[in-house]
Amino acid sequence: MTALTAHLKLLEAESIHIFREAAAQFRAPVLLYSIGKDSTVLLHLARKAFWPAKPPFPMLHIDTTWKFREMIEFRDRTAREFGLDLIVHTNHEGLARNINPFDHPPSVYTDVMKTQALRQALDAGGFDAAFGGARRDEEASRAKERVFSFRAAGHRWDPRRQRPEMWQLLNGRLGKGETVRIFPLSNWTEGDVWRYLQQENLDVVPLYFAKERPVVERDGQFIVVDDERMVFEPGEKPEMRKVRFRTLGCWPLTAAMDSDADDLDAIVTETLAAKLSERSGRLIDHDQAGAMEMKKREGYF
Amino acid sequence: MPVAALNEDIGLAPHAASAPHTGALLRLLTCGSVDDGKSTLIGRLLWDASGVTDDQRAAIRTASVNRAINGEKIDFSLLLDGLQAEREQGITIDIAWRYFETPSRRFIIIDSPGHEQYTRNMATGASHADLAILLVDARHGVKRQTRRHAAICDLVGIKKVVLAVNKMDQMDWSEDIYRAIDSDFRALAEGFGFTEIMTIPLAALTGDNVVQHSENMDWYGGPSLLNYLESVDPEPLSIDAPFRMPVQLVLRDGDFRGYAGTVTSGEIRLGERVVDARSGLGATLSRIATMSGDLDVAVKGDAVTLELDTDLDISRGAVLSEAKRRPINADVLEARLVWLADEPFDPEMGYLLRTATDLNPVTSMSVSALVDFETLASTPAHACGVNDIADCRILLGRSIALDLFHDLPLTGNFILINAIDGSTVAGGVITWAQSGAPTVGDSVFVLDRALLARGLCADLGDSPADQAEFHRRAQEAAILLRSVGVPVLIEI
Repeated sequence: MTALTAHLKLLEAESIHIFREAAAQFRAPVLLYSIGKDSTVLLHLARKAFWPAKPPFPMLHIDTTWKFREMIEFRDRTAREFGLDLIVHTNHEGLARNINPFDHPPSVYTDVMKTQALRQALDAGGFDAAFGGARRDEEASRAKERVFSFRAAGHRWDPRRQRPEMWQLLNGRLGKGETVRIFPLSNWTEGDVWRYLQQENLDVVPLYFAKERPVVERDGQFIVVDDERMVFEPGEKPEMRKVRFRTLGCWPLTAAMDSDADDLDAIVTETLAAKLSERSGRLIDHDQAGAMEMKKREGYF
Repeated sequence: MPVAALNEDIGLAPHAASAPHTGALLRLLTCGSVDDGKSTLIGRLLWDASGVTDDQRAAIRTASVNRAINGEKIDFSLLLDGLQAEREQGITIDIAWRYFETPSRRFIIIDSPGHEQYTRNMATGASHADLAILLVDARHGVKRQTRRHAAICDLVGIKKVVLAVNKMDQMDWSEDIYRAIDSDFRALAEGFGFTEIMTIPLAALTGDNVVQHSENMDWYGGPSLLNYLESVDPEPLSIDAPFRMPVQLVLRDGDFRGYAGTVTSGEIRLGERVVDARSGLGATLSRIATMSGDLDVAVKGDAVTLELDTDLDISRGAVLSEAKRRPINADVLEARLVWLADEPFDPEMGYLLRTATDLNPVTSMSVSALVDFETLASTPAHACGVNDIADCRILLGRSIALDLFHDLPLTGNFILINAIDGSTVAGGVITWAQSGAPTVGDSVFVLDRALLARGLCADLGDSPADQAEFHRRAQEAAILLRSVGVPVLIEI
């Protein structure tokens, strides 16, 4: 057994407890897999919770068609390696309307290709519970999130109607029309996630590691050009720059950062010394005040 | 890595490889109202202990100017305002969770609103904490609110408290004031089960004794708040406690059949006897399985899967125990609870009792008293509503395995669930439980149809309305009897 940093072992045990409580109480759970580092930890903990059996639920990926190519490769490889059922869902209606991150504001794009897509996939699969990798340290409205987060019919989140959670007792009784989002990583921080990846020696998408990549600079943020769909502003042309991603979303909406950190040890060191918050590289969160809270009310994670 | 280096310093039993180091993570509750400067204190702690990033700092500086609450100064409380509704109203509605770490420890701050109408939120937050920081304003000293906060912390099992005497700057850094408040609080806390009380004089706005030692209070030789939080021991691993593991799931894979759960107290080793508390059936522990490798011993806090040499035919809800000191099998219990739901307790409503991993319908329930947490006085009652602390008696249709909260908190606590909409209506601690079912013919008073029809319900006929009234009267009679301590079964 690897010697986990002491507090990571406590967090791991707490997350396993949450996975098991959910699997025991819900009829049809699904694991929201978004390919990033948090999803990697989430999936690893799910495997630990039910080992030697496989996790008793499939993985679901909402594919906006704007994920980095390396992310998709990583996703397919991961599902194969662990022998897990992978459901991939795209909002084809949105695709047909050509909703994309260049011609539409981030809020519209995110609503159609992520939030609506997620609702479609959960409804189509008849899932009553979905595990997500959200952490309370990410953003202000998430700091008040429950471990079992209840959603009314239509997947709406009402912060005033959440259930109190006392001690280790998680209540999974659903009311009429309700579904639930489950956050096993609630008490983890970004630093914990990286230290855990390091200590458990887990693979992550190579985009997290620093490398020369084609980049354009916009409003002080570095946008990596992933394929020919990139729409350049007048005068813009990509130049090579050694960057990595601290957080991964859709490629034109997630900024990269200057970094020389090209392995997990270097990333852990860099993350623990970081002077900017993690989501500062997520362009959709800056769209308007209370942006995340709005998205959650509409059914985003 | 500083955090890894810390491991060396934590004294642990020889089986340290498997034992969670409870000292590496401290969950602390902050109680007090905005008026006491609570948000400022937490904000200051995060700000000075580097729990705040540069972009957050910049945003807070901008927002402080926009709100212009304290002129040029930084409004630390802005770090904590989460939801839009809260920002608009300038209040805190819900518990907020904050995270920071120092080279010696990882911290979780559970920030709960302090006003009286938020007793439920405070109790909820407190139930997750190892330690509570009770904030008092040096100008006002210990108030009724302080007593209520201390009582709630005690109710949910917190053993260690810090009394943070804030705004010392406004009392000329007076040692006499500090001493008076300290002794008032110690007198108040005598009736509670706290094992450690630390009183720290500080000023959140100026930062005195929050992270840095204050130069304004030479007379105080103790630690700053952060120094104390970095060094305090959470409850030590109690290896003497009896072993308990509530079963969450039965895991099967080919020939493998194991009971998955988290050890809630004590420890268990390979080859030891394990008993299903309810049936009394025992088996020998043959394997402790985890994906990272098998263990020789599982201790409190470990999430494991236990394989036994014989199949006990048990499922979720069972409590695995050591052979000697077993849980109580009980179907009548007394408890103290905090009512969480907006809808008041309704004896006609169906409730479910959720203990560790077990879920059982409540046959009948009655409230016997309400506790005033500011005076600590108890008054007989048979109703309770949101934010009330009540003593109650619960009867179940079958006996379940449980412990008294005082002995083993994680198998002695529960929540009550509304059977119709699934909502959590109360959380409580078991104070007394009867081993062996009180059955008909025992010391239980049976309210049957014939008895009721003879007198109390003699005027009622067979119409649906009359029958509904018959049931109502039966329930009311049972409530009255139970409120004076008579166990009652209704059989109509």
